[in-house]
Amino acid sequence: MSLFAAMQTGNPLGQLATAVVLGALAIYWLLPRPRGRSIAIGTFAAIASTVVLVSWVVRRFGDPAPDLVGNILFWLFSAGAVGFGTIFVCQRNPGRGAIAFAFVILSVCGLFLLLAAPFLMAATIVIYAGAIIVTFLFVLMLSHADGPTDENDRTREPMLGSLAGFAFLGLVLFALYQSSPAAASDTNNLEYALPARPVSGEERAVLLEIAEQLGEVTKLQDKDAILEKTKLMRDRIAEIVGVPPTSVDAVAVPSKRKSIPDRLALLTDPRSIATKTLGEEIRQMNVKAFNALENNLLSKANPSATDIQKSTEALPALREKLIYLAGRGELPARNVANIGYVLYSEYLLAIEMAGTILLVATIGTVAIATRKRVSA
Amino acid sequence: MISVWHYLAVAAVLFALGLIGFLTRRNLITMFLSAELMLQGVVLNLLAFSRFHANLSGQAFALFVVTVAACEAGIAMALFIVLYRRNKSLDASVWQSNREAGVPSSVDTDALPTVAAEGADDPKLQPAGAKPQEPARV
Repeated sequence: MSLFAAMQTGNPLGQLATAVVLGALAIYWLLPRPRGRSIAIGTFAAIASTVVLVSWVVRRFGDPAPDLVGNILFWLFSAGAVGFGTIFVCQRNPGRGAIAFAFVILSVCGLFLLLAAPFLMAATIVIYAGAIIVTFLFVLMLSHADGPTDENDRTREPMLGSLAGFAFLGLVLFALYQSSPAAASDTNNLEYALPARPVSGEERAVLLEIAEQLGEVTKLQDKDAILEKTKLMRDRIAEIVGVPPTSVDAVAVPSKRKSIPDRLALLTDPRSIATKTLGEEIRQMNVKAFNALENNLLSKANPSATDIQKSTEALPALREKLIYLAGRGELPARNVANIGYVLYSEYLLAIEMAGTILLVATIGTVAIATRKRVSA
Repeated sequence: MISVWHYLAVAAVLFALGLIGFLTRRNLITMFLSAELMLQGVVLNLLAFSRFHANLSGQAFALFVVTVAACEAGIAMALFIVLYRRNKSLDASVWQSNREAGVPSSVDTDALPTVAAEGADDPKLQPAGAKPQEPARV
């Protein structure tokens, strides 16, 4: 199978293999050594490998289109981390390598921030700023700046090393793919998927939006306004929680993606079961509430105030259930305070141990680096 | 939407780059920084799962990884100083005399490129002529 054919047909394994081989060749060409190093070919192969790998990730794990700012930041920081990481590994001069490593740390800290870990971001920057400056001092102190040296201009087994690294990467990504929802929906094998979050962020946003609209609908007194507001609501809810298997819509509306109860069908932990039950309840309520609404409003040309009240009386209960299903946010908003609480309640022993390890390491460092005096 | 798998893929790439750096580079300091790069990949994994499961255990664990990384940095630097005092070199291959019995030694066949020493191209001033003898003005 040629590499280009593999890329064009979108064969996941072929594409992954292409990216891995190109990446290994790129690093092989970029690693410093006296003969056979080509920065131009290496850079080209690195860019090609990145393009194939990004298209593979987008194809397999989904194109993250809706959240634009989050997306741009994610790709920016990821590209920074991976790009500067490559420069760092292939850089001949250890001082410049240390600078590239500093940029890797900054990019990774950006990713930490996107992952709702501001405390860890600040801690990492502070710790690594110190560490990198110390490393820098060591580089300046210990390396010889006059001409090429064995340690900087030679590489141990560049071909085998980069192949080993990229073979490892390929295997990890392949294993990730096999456990991802993409693979599970390809093969309809739910039991292979890692437990996904019961309600995704997108679904949560949609649920809360519908709940808000439902709150407005219950205050309306006009038939047309109510019908206009609730026109698409039933389908939007059905898209998230699905339709009851007995309903006539079950066949008529083929769902593009799996609904929440379907996704959780095989999971047996209490949280998943509770969420699944709630989803199924909302399914039933969705059908009943909107059937009642349409029956009461559409059967009469001029429905009375009691008819309108009757038509919307099931909606507040549905609204409450939707908010309940949306659940709490992603992580506690007061992240730093919460992490302090967690550290000093659940991980108190671990904190003590970490402190002890740091103390022992400090003593060990002093003991190792002390110059032994030879007695005459 | 960016899912946990996107973050795991980035973390895997960082770890693989660190692995390659650790396996192939010969400068002890670069090898040490490569190990740190691998740790960054691991921390990214922990945080991604922490966010994914919406609890803080992953972040707490990541803090311990950072602690261990700091200990590692201190001890590694102390070891480098000791090694450098012995051989005046940061090359890890200098220590291959400690390898296991029966393992062939690695020999560098290619000569290092010769680069003109720094300052070779600098303009040189012509040596000045003899100092003119002038009668001392009193």
